[in-house]
Amino acid sequence: MRPPQVSLHIGTPEVSPRTSSEFEEVQYPFTDGFHRSPGSRRNEELPLHYMGEDTARRRVPRGPSGNDNFRQRLGSAGTEEYEMYDHEGKDVYSKMKDMRSPLGSGRLRRPPPPPPTTVSEFLQQNLEHIPPIVYTLLSCWTRFHKIGHSNTVVWDEAHFGKFGSFYLKRQFYFDVHPPLGKMLVALTGLLAGYDGQYDFASGSTYPDSVPYVAMRVMMATFGVAMVPLAWYTAVELGMSSRACHLVTLMVLCDVAWLCISRFILLDSMLLFFTFTTVFCLTKFHNQQYQPFSFDWWLWLSFTGASIGCVTSIKWVGLFVTALVGLYTIEDLWEKFGDLRMSVRDQARHWGARIGCLIVLPVVLYMAFFKIHFMILNHSGPDDAKMSSLFQANLIGNDFAHNPLGQPHSVSAAPISDVVPEIAIGSKITLKNMGWAGGLLHSHVQTYPVGSNQQQVTCYHYKDENNDWIILPKWDEPSYDAAAPIRFLSDGDTIRLSHVSTRRNLHSHLIPAPVSKLNNEVSGYGDDKVGDFHDYWVVEVVDDLRRGSKSHVDKIHSLTTRLRLRHHATGCYLRAANAILPQWGFKQIEVSCDKDNNPGDVHTYWNVETHTNERLPPGDHKLYRTSFIRDFWHLNVAMMTTNNALVPDPDKEDVLASKPSDWPWMTLGLRMCGWGPTQTKYYLLGTPIVWWGGTLSLFVGVAVLALYLMRIQRKYVDMEAREWDHFLYVSKVAMLGWLLHYVPFLIMGRVTYVHHYLPTLYFSVLMAAHLLDHFFFTTRRLSERTKWIVFGSAAFAVVASFWWFSGVAFGIDGPINDHWGLRWRSSWNIYDD
Amino acid sequence: MSGVVSPTPLRHRKPLPSRTPAYTEINQEDDQVEFSNPRNRSTVEQVLEKDRASMAMAAFLTVAAFALRFYKINHPDQVVFDEVHFGKFASYYITRQYYFDVHPPLAKMLFGLAGWFVGYDGHFLFENIGESYTENHVPYVGMRALPAFLSSLTVPIVFAIMKECGYSTIIAAFSASIVLFDNAHVAQGRLILLDAILIFFMSLTLYSYIRFRKLRYVEYSPEWWGWLLATGTFMACTWASKVNGILTVVAIGIPVLVDLWDILDHKKGHSMEYFWQHFLARAMGLIVLPIIFYLMVFYVHLSILTNTGPGDTFMSPAFQETLRGNELLLNSQEIRYYDTVTVRHKDTRVFLHSHPERYPLKYDDGRISSQGQQVTGYGHDDSNNHWQIVPTKALPETGRGRIVRHDDVVQFLHVNTQSLLLTHDVASPLMPTNQEFTTWPKDDHSRYNDTLFYMRLVDAHEGEAWKSKSGHFKLIHVPTKVAMWTHLKTLPEWAFSQQEINGNKNSHEKSNIWFVDDIVGEQTDEDAASRTNVAPKEPKKMNFFKKFAELQLLMLQHNAGLTASHPYASGPFNWPFLISGISFWTENNDQKQIYLIGNVIGWWTCIVGISTYVGILGADLLGRRRAMEPLPEPVRNRLWNSAGFFLVVWAVHYFPFYLMGRQLFIHHYLPSHLASALVAGSLLSFVLSETINYPISVRGPSMSRVKQRTYADVGLKGPIIVALFALMMLGMFIYMAPLTYGTPGLDGNSVNSKRLLSSWTLHFAAKASDA
Repeated sequence: MRPPQVSLHIGTPEVSPRTSSEFEEVQYPFTDGFHRSPGSRRNEELPLHYMGEDTARRRVPRGPSGNDNFRQRLGSAGTEEYEMYDHEGKDVYSKMKDMRSPLGSGRLRRPPPPPPTTVSEFLQQNLEHIPPIVYTLLSCWTRFHKIGHSNTVVWDEAHFGKFGSFYLKRQFYFDVHPPLGKMLVALTGLLAGYDGQYDFASGSTYPDSVPYVAMRVMMATFGVAMVPLAWYTAVELGMSSRACHLVTLMVLCDVAWLCISRFILLDSMLLFFTFTTVFCLTKFHNQQYQPFSFDWWLWLSFTGASIGCVTSIKWVGLFVTALVGLYTIEDLWEKFGDLRMSVRDQARHWGARIGCLIVLPVVLYMAFFKIHFMILNHSGPDDAKMSSLFQANLIGNDFAHNPLGQPHSVSAAPISDVVPEIAIGSKITLKNMGWAGGLLHSHVQTYPVGSNQQQVTCYHYKDENNDWIILPKWDEPSYDAAAPIRFLSDGDTIRLSHVSTRRNLHSHLIPAPVSKLNNEVSGYGDDKVGDFHDYWVVEVVDDLRRGSKSHVDKIHSLTTRLRLRHHATGCYLRAANAILPQWGFKQIEVSCDKDNNPGDVHTYWNVETHTNERLPPGDHKLYRTSFIRDFWHLNVAMMTTNNALVPDPDKEDVLASKPSDWPWMTLGLRMCGWGPTQTKYYLLGTPIVWWGGTLSLFVGVAVLALYLMRIQRKYVDMEAREWDHFLYVSKVAMLGWLLHYVPFLIMGRVTYVHHYLPTLYFSVLMAAHLLDHFFFTTRRLSERTKWIVFGSAAFAVVASFWWFSGVAFGIDGPINDHWGLRWRSSWNIYDD
Repeated sequence: MSGVVSPTPLRHRKPLPSRTPAYTEINQEDDQVEFSNPRNRSTVEQVLEKDRASMAMAAFLTVAAFALRFYKINHPDQVVFDEVHFGKFASYYITRQYYFDVHPPLAKMLFGLAGWFVGYDGHFLFENIGESYTENHVPYVGMRALPAFLSSLTVPIVFAIMKECGYSTIIAAFSASIVLFDNAHVAQGRLILLDAILIFFMSLTLYSYIRFRKLRYVEYSPEWWGWLLATGTFMACTWASKVNGILTVVAIGIPVLVDLWDILDHKKGHSMEYFWQHFLARAMGLIVLPIIFYLMVFYVHLSILTNTGPGDTFMSPAFQETLRGNELLLNSQEIRYYDTVTVRHKDTRVFLHSHPERYPLKYDDGRISSQGQQVTGYGHDDSNNHWQIVPTKALPETGRGRIVRHDDVVQFLHVNTQSLLLTHDVASPLMPTNQEFTTWPKDDHSRYNDTLFYMRLVDAHEGEAWKSKSGHFKLIHVPTKVAMWTHLKTLPEWAFSQQEINGNKNSHEKSNIWFVDDIVGEQTDEDAASRTNVAPKEPKKMNFFKKFAELQLLMLQHNAGLTASHPYASGPFNWPFLISGISFWTENNDQKQIYLIGNVIGWWTCIVGISTYVGILGADLLGRRRAMEPLPEPVRNRLWNSAGFFLVVWAVHYFPFYLMGRQLFIHHYLPSHLASALVAGSLLSFVLSETINYPISVRGPSMSRVKQRTYADVGLKGPIIVALFALMMLGMFIYMAPLTYGTPGLDGNSVNSKRLLSSWTLHFAAKASDA
């Protein structure tokens, strides 16, 4: 490689060329009072001394050609081209955004107004907060109206209500979603005085003991907050007041957002935190010219906190996180190219982002899990998803009483020296150490393929069929309960006998049913019948408590990681993520891996329960579990379970829908039973909002392409800064939408229409942005036309909301009596 | 070392109109003069750069490629891996039987052509891997010669691509040798498989595009048009050979768009008219022409395959009736009321069946049934499959009024038990969401309404007559709107493990489709005479575009549906690192096997090359962002534009596989591997030479200013490095050759020694304990 020619010949002229961060120094003058909002003191800040107004308007070339390059061209090409530019650029200047709001887009900050002395002054100063307050009140009405009307468990309330109950009962459970949302559900239950004893059976009627209305109201409050957030986000995005109204109206009037917010579900919280993330991001964007100011830090850290929360509700939050990530990368790339910024400032910028947008969310995310583990300290239904060591620490679990290594008589030693050890004759269960591994299991059913011997699988639930007894080899004397106890150690060859069927764990040179390259593992023979294919060699990997293999003399339950090598064929007992077909009850396949991969955790096992009457019980203190390990284990288990939620090709799920159905709202979703006596909720968006949003995405792409091509041809449609802003809002909306949509196309898991709800927000922003650009902020149209456009858009949204509001407020009586709700033939809202 | 740095401002200070787009001015420094004199290059380079030397090199590579690909091409004389499919398809072309496959037909037609040339009559069906060709008298060598021939020609094309891009002969030879000595390319190329043809056309496409691009200053010249149209044609050939070829279209599309974007640039001073001319020319050559070509290929395909064959059943009835000898064509009859028929499910091919046994009152999961008579799906012919169609309206005695028509409400009478088909709001045995199907005694009218069904033909017009075989229909229950449906799950022992039939609430699904297999039972003579038409019917005509659209849609659907697991399928991530291969063929007696695996040295060189290249681009980007320009402008341009193009080709042929749900194999990476060889060559040139061969584009009138010529010089170290590399490649190739050619047989220990990575699953490996 060549040595880098660090010819720092930058040749930066004193005045030009400009970099983007320099723009804050150039303020463009306002020509008349039209743009000035009441109380604006903007013209006082204008650096009119910088250049004459005429120069500022006409002579400074802006946009991508805004450098001396352009001047040269002017010089050489003569006045004709200049005239042309002038003509093209004339309209541009008039497009300057009106600075109606003090929250505007990143100009120099005004000094705060003097404190109000009269009520009218107070009102005047806070005039811009009136509309959001009104909208918030309206949204309170829509969200809370008839919220307790259906006294049955609607849709996924069955899950999330139940999970909330587990927190109140402090029992461990497992779910594919991170814990924050469900902890908040539990909190609402706690505040409402719910005791956690209800099982939330789907479709059942709430008993009096469950304060479901209060819980729903608290959940719906998150939905209420979406409305003001949408307003202020639109303000921060520099939209005109009409566009702000439109964004807010669309958020207020979408029946899908409304409907999903009214129940005990995670979606209202997910939406809320998605909205806060976008809001904080826009807020932070507008602080860009005051780096490291208090507000800058505030909004940056709020963005991070919001990311942490949204991701802790559902992993869907990662998509909005990706949006923030892309924004930050672009931002830092700009900074990286700013040669005048000192290295120290560069480092501070990078450090601030890493601290606030990576460390802070991760810490929050982990903190929620920590709280989760702290609350759920009792044994519950899904213990077996976690590692044995974790389970041993749950109250109500008896692993800790696994017998110790000394016979009763000599157990005088201090408890810390006494360790639980496995002996020949012990009854044990074996747990796979792969993330979310199950217990070694067998049942009387046989393989329909291969050897047709008894199936051996991995199973996630506690069951008598998980019990195995350690026995000596056939050629050794059989186990004698009276003989001196013989502890198991590394390298011992044993036989494992299945307790309930007496079959021996067996393997042979027959391909396994799913992982065809591995050998089959089966149950074979009984107490008397068997052969040398039943022998397994115990190989210790290490011990979680004692460290590496050299420190492990005996096999200890829970903590010793071991592998089982098949004596005859040399393969290793392995349970990975292969699922058996229906004949194996979709349990996990156990096979024997011919390759020796010492690092493969799927071949690691540990002894979980251990019973041996000849040994004394152990104690809790012996089992410390590490939070990081549990945290990681749980997350991997969530991931694998999530990926396993694939659509079953045999089963037609009428509730599921494909991502391609969503933008045009091909399908709705029945959220509860559809009988004539039930109150029916149908998850369906307001058509105008959904279709308008989707349409605007296509228009947006076309408009962006057109503008880019015009720029390539040097047409100046917008002043550089205005173009930057246009591009910024388009990018937030477009990328946000794509990031929330495309992953669903790729992922294999089953998807539902409510997965589109966060995505919808970005198409709404896009719709308002385009209307803003083409109608509300252009000078070509009269005020009257703008009012007409705004009025018709707002009317369409509100009217279609009114038409469909029933599906969110609940429909009583036979559904077919409600006329005109089926706008598309694919909606299954009617019974037919 | 070069100290050439082009200060940034220069780029802006230049006069705008009509200047060369490629490179900005290079400072005339002393060492620049050195590069611009061809005699200053090392002697070896001077010799090698002579046209004759270059030709000799190409000839040598070609001969070597032929030798490696044709060596023992007759071994094994057995069906290997996917020859099962593609050999069979070739046979069908010769016998002109209709078949269906997910890949477009060009490559398979070429195989058919090759077979026809060597006198093969298409009698052999290539049913199983390991069937003998010699015993079945198949002239397989002739058919294998086609891919081997094209695969051999790919090597000089790679060489030519590099030469045309302005790299030294020795660099071009380097890239070519990566493909030449690659075990995977050789193994894949000497068998009746599509990939060699795909790769050949793909490399030709790249070559043509590069030639076209080099002519950009002599636009609209005959050569310019020639190479543009050649690009389009070869692109279409690639795409028409295998469905993955569509990626090549994308790979060419991206640089074309970038090119057009540059033309659009105002700084170039072109008018919009000029832009539109260029746009239209490319649209013509790269969109319209390939589409016409692609359609032509299908036209030929459909013109050849005019006889009925195994592919019939994939197609719609209307399509099937265009095939000579098709069952539908011969046996499709109109169905009349009171006909006794057998009804079959379209997807799972089971008969609608019923028998006197009843559903158990209680299922294992505790749900309750109606305890009605079982209605199941049964795979075999049986008199319990006979159903009579009972009208629900008054019928005339004779004439066409007795024909069952689309949307009629009918009843199905089970002949043996004299009971009517019925469904009701009771959960089916296996699926609580679906309705149970049962029957009800004929004379009991209490459940009359529940025995009524709409007979809805698929894609039918009003009043269309219902025909056996071709009349695909859905049976929609009148009161509850469910559709009769079945699926592959079988009922427990109490129903003799027959298939469950139930009512599907989603009546729009495609799997609800049934058809009448046959009309049975006593027919009057008059009926039989009017119905049975013994004379062979002429195939019907169907518009080519309709046929094409139908076939194209089916190909897409089935391609996405290839999700079954395969022991040798591998994920895209494994491919560049050569983590796993495919066992193509084994023979137990002599312990011979063919295992598709690349040349480790070549593949790892390529992936290291790509990583390094991306790293250099990244460093360059970062550096320039900080106004540091470590690379001389021309070198950087070459690195970005030429190697960048190769990288785009690599990425476009690689990353889309991550998104595909279908089963994937390592041979899907071979096109990308070829592109990565080009990147590696480009990178080697960058490392070895301080400058580039410039200009390489043909000068023309629109090239305003000619800059100083420069000459790359890889010196003596270049040939030495490349020769050593080629030797290592050859050595590794020979070492792995028994797995590639399938001969000689290997004992367990030598199999173990060939197993360079533990993840390769070779056969006949010795046990670790034996060793």
